[in-house]
Order: sequence, then C-alpha cells, then structure tokens
Amino acid sequence: MESTAKKRRCSFNKDWETTYHWVKPVQGDSQRVFCEVCQSSFSVSHGAPERSGREFGSRKPRREEGEPRTEKMPLDQDWTAVYPAATPFRAGSVPLPVRMGYPMKGGVPPEKKGNLELIKIPNFLHLTPAAIKKHCEALKPFCTEWPSALDTDAKCDEHFPIKVECTDYVSSGLSVRNPSARIVQLKVKLSILNLDDHARKKMLKLVGERYCKDTDVLTITTDSCPLRQQNYDYAQYLLTVLYHESWKTEAWEAEKTVADMEEYSWEGSPSQKNIMDMLLRMKVAGEGEGEEVQEQLLARSEVQEYKDSVTRLKNEGDNESSVLQYKEAVKKVFNL
Amino acid sequence: MKYLFTINLNLVCHVRTLHTSGWGQQQEAVAVESEPEPFSVFRTQETDPACQSEKHLGQFYTLPSAHFRPLFPHGLPYRYQQQVKTFNEACFMVRPPALEVISYLKKADYSKPALRYLFYGVKGSGKTMSLCHAVHFCYTQGWVVLHIPDAHLWVKNCKELLPSSYNSARFDQPLQATTWLRNFRTTNEHLLSQIKTKRRYVWTKRESTDEGRPLGELVNQGISRVKSSSDVVGALMKDLRLQSSQPGADFRLVVAVDGVNALWGRSTIKKENKSAVDLEELTLIHNLKKLMKNDWTGGAIITTLSQTGSLYTPKSAYLPQELLGETGFDSMDPFIPVSVPNYSEKEFESAYLYYLDRKWLQHPQSRTEDGKKELSFLSSKNPSMLDRICGFL
Repeated sequence: MESTAKKRRCSFNKDWETTYHWVKPVQGDSQRVFCEVCQSSFSVSHGAPERSGREFGSRKPRREEGEPRTEKMPLDQDWTAVYPAATPFRAGSVPLPVRMGYPMKGGVPPEKKGNLELIKIPNFLHLTPAAIKKHCEALKPFCTEWPSALDTDAKCDEHFPIKVECTDYVSSGLSVRNPSARIVQLKVKLSILNLDDHARKKMLKLVGERYCKDTDVLTITTDSCPLRQQNYDYAQYLLTVLYHESWKTEAWEAEKTVADMEEYSWEGSPSQKNIMDMLLRMKVAGEGEGEEVQEQLLARSEVQEYKDSVTRLKNEGDNESSVLQYKEAVKKVFNL
Repeated sequence: MKYLFTINLNLVCHVRTLHTSGWGQQQEAVAVESEPEPFSVFRTQETDPACQSEKHLGQFYTLPSAHFRPLFPHGLPYRYQQQVKTFNEACFMVRPPALEVISYLKKADYSKPALRYLFYGVKGSGKTMSLCHAVHFCYTQGWVVLHIPDAHLWVKNCKELLPSSYNSARFDQPLQATTWLRNFRTTNEHLLSQIKTKRRYVWTKRESTDEGRPLGELVNQGISRVKSSSDVVGALMKDLRLQSSQPGADFRLVVAVDGVNALWGRSTIKKENKSAVDLEELTLIHNLKKLMKNDWTGGAIITTLSQTGSLYTPKSAYLPQELLGETGFDSMDPFIPVSVPNYSEKEFESAYLYYLDRKWLQHPQSRTEDGKKELSFLSSKNPSMLDRICGFL
C-alpha cells in the first residue's frame, strides 16, 4: 500500500545511541536495532524507537533458549517416556528432521521448528510398538488366559460359532459412563445354521444388508436398548426369530415373481422358449411334436452349453469372457 | 509426378516393416517410375467383399463409386462422410469382426430362421463401419438391404407425432418415416421393381395398393402421402419378411440396424399431456421389433449396439447386456455377439499410412517414428480418436 507522497523507510541513526543507551545497531540490517534490555531486535523502518521507551528497564531480560532436548537424546532411550500420552507435536522433543508445508518458489517445505502445520495434525508418537507392548503388559493382570486348545481360527469357529463383540470405554471426565458401551455386535456364519434352499433365500431377503457374501457372515448390531445386557438378549432373540421364520413358508410367498428371484434359472425363461422355438423350426430333431422332442433337444450338449452360458451371463453380469462363451455356445447351436 | 515419389521415399525411410510382403513391391514401384498411383502396402485392390480374406486384414479397399452412392445415402458415421468428401474416395479397412460376420453370412443356411449378429465394442471402435462393410457385402450379392441408420433417431427429438390411422393407440412419426423411405428407395432401386406385393393395402377411402403391384409403387406412395408413411414402412417390412421366407423367393433380405439398443430403452418423446411415450406405442418401433424376431427365413439380421445416441445409459456401458437390458436380451436371444476391438498394431499402422498418403497429416513431426508413437499413445489406437487427433495435424 503506497501512499502518494514518497516516504523513505527509516534506518539506524547514530544519534539514537546517545539518546537511548540500550540501543545498539544490528549487523547487516540497517533497519533493525537491538535492545539490550530485552535482548531482542526490532524493526525501526517506521520511525525512531520511541515506542520502546517503556521497555527501559521495566521488563525482565529474557533468558537464553537452551539446547533442544533432541541433542541430548541417546539412541537407546525409552521413547515411551518422551511421549507417554497423546500430546501435540513438540519440535524440540522429536529427533527427526521432519519438514511439512508448501514449498515456496525455489524452496523446500519449512522445517519443524515453529511449524504450525505439524502441531495442527494428530500424531501417533505415543503409540509406538514399544508403547503398545507396555499397555498390554499393564492390562495383562486384568485378563484371563486364552485357552490353549483354541489355537487356530477354524477351531474357534467350530466350538464358538456365534461371536459377540462389545466395547468398553475408559475416559476421565465428569462421568465414567459412556453411551456407546451399550452397542452389541453378534456375528455368525450362515453355513453353521441348518437352512435348506428356501430357508436360506428367505433369510437373505430378511436380513438384507447385514449379510456379507464374501465371508458368509451375518452381523447383527443392536443398540436400541439402553443397557448392554438388554441389547445382547435382543440380538440373541433376533437370531432365533430369523432362523425360525425362514423355515416357515407363508401363503403370500407363492406370489414371488421373476423379478424377485435372486438367481437366474433357465428353465421356463424366455431364453429357453426362444431356443426351443428356433430348434423346432429348424427341424433339427426331425418330425414329431410334444414332450419327447423337447426332452431330446434339451439333452443335446449344445443346448446344455448354451444354457450354461446364458445362466452365467445373467448371473454374473457381462464381462468379456462370459460374452465370448455365449458366442461360442450360440455358434455351436447353429453349426457355424 | 516426382513430387509423389519424394513423398514415397519418405515413407520408405520411416515406416517399420510390418507389411513385409508388400515391401519389395514398394521398392520396385519407386525404381520403375511408371505407376501413376503409388502402390501402397496398406491398400488392397480387392474391392469385392466376398473375395476378401485374412490376407487382406488391415488393408484398405476402395468402394467403387457406383456402389457408394446408392448404398449409403444414410448409415455412415458423420465424420466418415466428411472424410469421404475430403479425400474423394470411400475406403473401408478390412477388419476381423466384419470378415467374421461375412464368413458366417456365406456359410449360413437360408432355409433356417434368420440369424442375428450383434457388433459390440467401446465407443469409436468401428462398429458402424463394420456394419456398413457387411452391408456392402450383402449389396454386392444382390440382397435387399433394409438399413436403419440409427434407431435412436426414431425415439428422440420427434417434432411431429400423429396418432396412427391404423391403430389409434399408437403414434406415427411421418417425418422420420418419409426420410427413411426415400433412402430405402435409393438403395434398392433396382430390386423394387422386381418384387411384388402379396397383399392388398388400403390407406384411405380412396387410396389403396393392390396385390401384385411392384414394391416401388408402395414406397412411392409412402413418400408422397406423408401421413400414412409410417404405416407404409410397416407394410413394407411385413411384406419383405413374408416374401423372403417363402421357399421360392429369389432375393434375400438383410436387416441392418445401428443402435439396436434403442428399441428396448426409453424414449424422450412426450405426448401432449407431457407424459412419456412408451416405445410400444410408436408404430415404427413396433414394426421394427417384429422384424427383429427370427420367425422369418431367408436372410440375416446384423445389428450394432451404440451408447452414443442412447438415452439414460451410462457412458462407460458397452457390453451387450448392459445396453440391451433384460427385455432386449431376451428378445434378441439367441444371437451371435461379435466384439469390435480398437485397432491392432497392424491396423493402426495401416490407418497411419493411409492418412499420410492422403496428405492428411501435415505436421512435420507426424512423419517421424516418435510422432507415430505419440499418435498411437494419445488415441490408444481407438479409430475415432485417431481420426479426431489427426484432424488437428
């Protein structure tokens, strides 16, 4: 912001040394002076240092900054003592040459000393493996021994198919209670449950999003009741009810349409009708109407291949290989 | 013609020898200096699609202009039409998908129901061009060509929608129908006088077409009487279908539809009360769907999928099921899907040489090896992308 009258910036004036005894020039910068009282330099580009008159002997001299702690850290120190809990980043305590920030033109990211970026972000310096080990050791007296017979995942699944997970929260504050502690998660593999085809399909429709196809795990998370024990009972109840309901067949289930079907079934589909029509018209099987001709046609290998390829195409969606398979099957049917 | 030969020399220096068979001939042509037209490795003299085979793969063949005008009044991509005007010649590249379909067409038994072929591939990979190549083959064999250039044009941007006279629940599109009939007449001029109608069609109280009249008359009727043109189209399709199925028919019918996924998609045409028109309510679409069914014999149905003009489909969709949808797939089933990939190394080489030959690539760097690699990378060997990029050079 330039004003219309040209002003020059003030620089060090020898007379100031006599007027103010505490003033000393700074080497290399004529626009700063050094105040001996407060042991710091300040800019005088805007005028003589009258402002600092009040500093004349009124403030305690600022003591020298010491060496940062990083210089004195031995290599085999106990890091958990340096950062025992979650604290903001302290440049003087972290012996790493970390840089963070946007590099200005021709420059590098700023160093860690006085770097606000490093202080703003969360750091996990208090959670090194050594610290975790210490935490585990401290918690061990409160835990019971893991049964030695359950050493593989498979054995755990076999003996304890239903897994219940709850979380306890520890914090210091006005109250020890934490409302999130009431959440209970119940996990079970559907292969354990005795379900036939219809029951399994119905169960999957009932649970919807809670089932993961890749791991075959049904997860029921309950948090509607205020207490953990209530939620646990509710989760168990839900599991029982789901199991029994999926075995029952209601009257309205007969109205299931093609759109509701989970998988594509070729029998009775338009694709089957089309190919049957075509083959009949091509008179491949010879003259004769009725069931035996249909059966004969169905038994042919090309038709079976065609059926497989269409089922795959519809179930998997299309990708290059399934389309190619379909193409080969159709070519075989037409003898191309 | 020394100028032409200096260009050729440049080609000789920079081109990699993928076409080794033509290499020796190229050298000879330069030495002899008697050929007025440079005998290029990327061109073939075989202009009849019936005689083209694997050895012509990747080479361009020129469409004789006698074939070009009648056969493609519609149906070619717009950019390609501009290219034909610029270069003054129509060249198709012989590529595996088109050759495959042509070989099936040659082998097929025409007493059996019509086979359906579907070209699918990513955007700009050459599906429409492959379709046109196959149609050219059918034309040279003397078939009746029913070529619908883009089915998407019939389901969107309709300026005039009339309630149909034949069936009051349906809607007619007179403008689209007349344009199509005109183009159909141009393509099949020579055959229309020979084929006769099999039924009597009554258009209005005063106009009717009797049995046994040449089809040309039917078509002219449709063009002159715009109001009934959609019904004429329907009648034409039905007649051709019935006739080619008969054992004594002396012609074969090829139905070529570009953008066939429009028939089972959605339409943006709105009725007067602002509700969307269902596709079944459009006469043209209804009749076309009937043609798509393979209940007739003595011909073939060649189609392509097209995402470019389609409505309400994602840009990345290119596989058959995605674009056809459930109903589309069930209606087209069983069909032979033919994949149209991007250019292979050899094909890209051919296209590049063709552009060089036609002096389309003016930039000096485009003649270098590096320039070629850059073109290949930038266009990722996609035919339409290559065309667009070369347009800037």
